[in-house]
Amino acid sequence: MPDPETDKSSPASAPRFEPDAGWVPADERLFGVDRRTIAPTLAVFALVIVMSVVLPVVNAKVPYADIVKAGDVVELQGDVTFVPETGWGITSGVRAGNAPLSGEYPATATVEDTAVKFTVHTAPFDGDANKLLDQIETTSEALNHGRGVQLASAHTTVVTDQGKQGATARITGPRTAGVVAAFVFNGRGVEAVATGPSDTGPEPTAAVFRMIRSISHPGEGKQ
Amino acid sequence: MTTTLADLDRARDIALDLSGWGRRFTFYQPRNFAFWGYLVLVGTGMFVFASSITLKYDAYGPAIALAVTSFAIYAALFWWFTQHIDHYAKLPAKLMVVAFLWGGFAATWVMAANANDSILALYAKSFGQSWALNWGAGLSAPFTEEIAKGSGLLLLIALAPRQVRTAFDGLILGAFIGLGFQIIEDIAYAMTSAGSQFGANQIGASIGTIFLRMVSGVAAHIVYSAIFCAGLIYLLGRPAEPRRVGRGLLLVATPILLHGTWDSLAAIGSRSALTLVGLLIAVIVIALVIVVRVYELTVRRERDFVRDVMTPEEARNVITAAELDAMAGNRKARKAYRKASRKRRERKRTRYVLNAAYDLADELAAARGADTDRVRFARAEVGRIRAGVPSSW
Repeated sequence: MPDPETDKSSPASAPRFEPDAGWVPADERLFGVDRRTIAPTLAVFALVIVMSVVLPVVNAKVPYADIVKAGDVVELQGDVTFVPETGWGITSGVRAGNAPLSGEYPATATVEDTAVKFTVHTAPFDGDANKLLDQIETTSEALNHGRGVQLASAHTTVVTDQGKQGATARITGPRTAGVVAAFVFNGRGVEAVATGPSDTGPEPTAAVFRMIRSISHPGEGKQ
Repeated sequence: MTTTLADLDRARDIALDLSGWGRRFTFYQPRNFAFWGYLVLVGTGMFVFASSITLKYDAYGPAIALAVTSFAIYAALFWWFTQHIDHYAKLPAKLMVVAFLWGGFAATWVMAANANDSILALYAKSFGQSWALNWGAGLSAPFTEEIAKGSGLLLLIALAPRQVRTAFDGLILGAFIGLGFQIIEDIAYAMTSAGSQFGANQIGASIGTIFLRMVSGVAAHIVYSAIFCAGLIYLLGRPAEPRRVGRGLLLVATPILLHGTWDSLAAIGSRSALTLVGLLIAVIVIALVIVVRVYELTVRRERDFVRDVMTPEEARNVITAAELDAMAGNRKARKAYRKASRKRRERKRTRYVLNAAYDLADELAAARGADTDRVRFARAEVGRIRAGVPSSW
């Protein structure tokens, strides 16, 4: 306990001087910069370089090894399947019978062959194939703001090997061409998009249409 | 040995020096290299995020508006809560904003997002798509995201070496870094959900994500980076926090493990929905228990600072010994102090006296322990409220 009889001191009436935050001691300056702040900043930048430069570069250097074999079938959410072209690489999505441990197949799958990319996406949708294609067009236009890739033609009909009728339209862009197809299976919409360079030959185009026609859903017949 | 008032004042000065309590934080420090680093990285992140929002706003406007509004309210609640638990040696609010922005923009868009995409793709190439879907997120995000968030604390220490002094400061700043990360990441997730049904039924598609992220967020990024950053301070050591490597490593590793478990729940608990829900609740509870333990571990030093700063006031009879114990104690101590008064009116007054005493502590800290006009006024306020005299202001 303090003894007030022996100590009558009171606190100082003005705060002790402290240099402002921008002041740097003369012996800590390096070209005017506080040298103590250099190491932590460089450490953070090193992490940034590893995460944003090194890892993406390593990823780009590692080739795809998941090549489609004859008989492979890719499955998506809601029991939607399609048959990818033999020799193409699966860059996302999984084969039927190889579901993740959660039991839920992913909603999107992509296969690629050189510069041609074929993506199938599925989700609940209320409407028919033409309405879905309209929706895809509306969203695409809103995302691209009238620039870049656009749906270029009127809808045409496509029929899958299963007999399911869908709608397709051509896609055009500055250096890209492709096709989009839409199907609706009992409230489940399926969008298939193929894009590649404008000068893609007839072979990949035929492969893309084979994959579109292979899209199927259990319990669907000719409609 | 007799302790004199001068001794107590000296102890207060030492506590204020060590804790950095009450020091103002200046963000604009052109001679600080960390200032430029922070500006470049947060600025880049803001640009990336703003570009993404601008690009998608025409397509997903309603969902973006809903997500931004919902998460702004959510962030405000967390902000209030985090401020509420930091009522000892408080950090400047400006520093918390700086922490929030790091988590929201630099840690996400400049660091973690790029690394996560690359690592997930590498896992898929090396171990197959199915393996990557099962374990990819759990073996990438915990490392990249915790490190990305935690690295912000290195810049914050370089920007505010006089303020960031204890593991508790790390805990609070980590919570704000995590809050920023979580809010911005959640908005991005809501945008992805908005497009998941071809851009149709945006609100329906994103509201589930928003709700789930809000519920699960209680024990996610905020908690993870709070623990990680407290650990980082122990690992580095600060003037008011001696280096404790073992404790630091344990606290840095814990949120990585929690995060990894959380991200792998779907794979671990795949046998049944019940197992999954049970695991989900267990991980949330474990995370909350751990963060409460880390809070209790780190807050002791802050309470000691409060005691050192206010003991001279007790010696000068500005506050009582019971009030000092309540101020430097935990929630239970404050409650016990209030409950000691029998009448409701008295209990109410004791609460006000305690609040006024905390105000006095803040004023003393801002004045570096000097007897300024503001300190004298805050001291008079304690006396006025104790006497039951109405405020003339």
